[in-house]
Amino acid sequence: MMAKIIEIVAAEAMIDSDKLAPDTLLQDLDIQSADYVMILMAIEEKFGVYISVDSELSDARTVGDLMQIVASKIKIASDGETV
Amino acid sequence: MNRVVITGMGAVSACGLGVDSLWAAARDGISGVGPIEFPKLPRQQVKRAATIAPELSTAIWQGGKPRLQDRVTAIALTAAREAVAQSGLAPEDFGADCGVIVGSGYGGAETLDRNMFDFAHDPSARVDPMSIPKIMASAPASWIGMEFGARGTTICISTACSSATQSIGLAAQMIRHGMLTRCIAGGSEALLTTSVFRAWEVLRVMTAGLCRPFSEGRDGMVLGEGAGILVLESRDAALARGATIIAEIGGYGTTGDAGDLLRPDPRGSTDCMIAAIADAGLEPSDIGYVNAHGTGTIANEQSETEALRNVFGNRLGDVLVSSTKPIHGHALGAAGALEFIVAIEALNAQVAPPTINFLGIDPKLGIDPVGNVARPFASNACMSNSFAFGGVNASLVALRHPAG
Repeated sequence: MMAKIIEIVAAEAMIDSDKLAPDTLLQDLDIQSADYVMILMAIEEKFGVYISVDSELSDARTVGDLMQIVASKIKIASDGETV
Repeated sequence: MNRVVITGMGAVSACGLGVDSLWAAARDGISGVGPIEFPKLPRQQVKRAATIAPELSTAIWQGGKPRLQDRVTAIALTAAREAVAQSGLAPEDFGADCGVIVGSGYGGAETLDRNMFDFAHDPSARVDPMSIPKIMASAPASWIGMEFGARGTTICISTACSSATQSIGLAAQMIRHGMLTRCIAGGSEALLTTSVFRAWEVLRVMTAGLCRPFSEGRDGMVLGEGAGILVLESRDAALARGATIIAEIGGYGTTGDAGDLLRPDPRGSTDCMIAAIADAGLEPSDIGYVNAHGTGTIANEQSETEALRNVFGNRLGDVLVSSTKPIHGHALGAAGALEFIVAIEALNAQVAPPTINFLGIDPKLGIDPVGNVARPFASNACMSNSFAFGGVNASLVALRHPAG
């Protein structure tokens, strides 16, 4: 699943996936707010989970943080809870 | 330079018809937010909004022209009639010296929405021939001009959530500089329709729960709709015709972030508030109440609180700050007008309306926003903020008249 998420982030934010190491700082990738919206739209389409930009995501600092938050939301959703 | 005063105010909102309904709800913390359902949305994620009650439809359309006007115009006209009636303006007071500056973020959303569904369903079917004049964002301003015979400058400012604040600000500047004697100014928004709501949903800034600005645990905004209209006049003109003055517009500031389209930059909002306060010839310590932009998103309040701290410094604890958006919803292009009206009512009542749904101070912000219950204050000045998508910031300062 992590590979799939990386793929989505790379495609939607138009970033070379080689640069998406877990400890890379998001601010160094120059990801704009609009990129987050696109990433989360793609996540909803692929995994069927609604994630607001005002979730824990607002505290994400690194690519790893982003992956973890998204993965946990997908897990919660697939376990049948609402996110 | 002319001093600029307010002699009439009108409002249509989820709190009901009229300024009195809006103010009573804001002061008492009674929310107009309720369930909203879009049968055509297969997977509606967010299920609450601040809608104008359906039973008010007859009143809103009274004197309206449904074949020529979208709902965004009908509510603007309803608010304008209230404002003009209160101002006591006579037919001869309009004419070329009276302008109309009324903003809207989206224009005629209901007509646009219906057209899209009809067209997608059957491209050869007849779409509403009046679609274009109904949808254009300037329609509310033009119809208000026609209703009252206001033939001065007619402008529609469409800067998302700052539309109404900039409209009132520009009107005040024009009167101040003698370009107009009076102006009908404000904003109107009516976009709680299927496709627009879905578009907001996918932007992911709406809460699926309750809107709680500045609070710990906040997770987004709640959409609203409505219209807020004010009658602005030069003080001399208002006094000459013996009008009752509600308040004075002391200052206006507006800036652009020139940064991110959606993420606010506290530098822009700081400069904006400083400009408005300076324009009023005041010091930050003169401001007793701030009606914050306070959308309830993480990003807005992080930025707005930092900006407030930049402006008020250690005195931030002394100025009362609240957001009334959980009560009337975020009415976008009308928000600035509805909130400026609330701020003026607050100033005249010397009572700061509460930020409802407040759970506790967010340690990351460290600001106490008049949580849940209104609080009295003593001051001759208040400020209302609008910090929009697009990085467009606008702040208005109102003064008590006469000073208490």
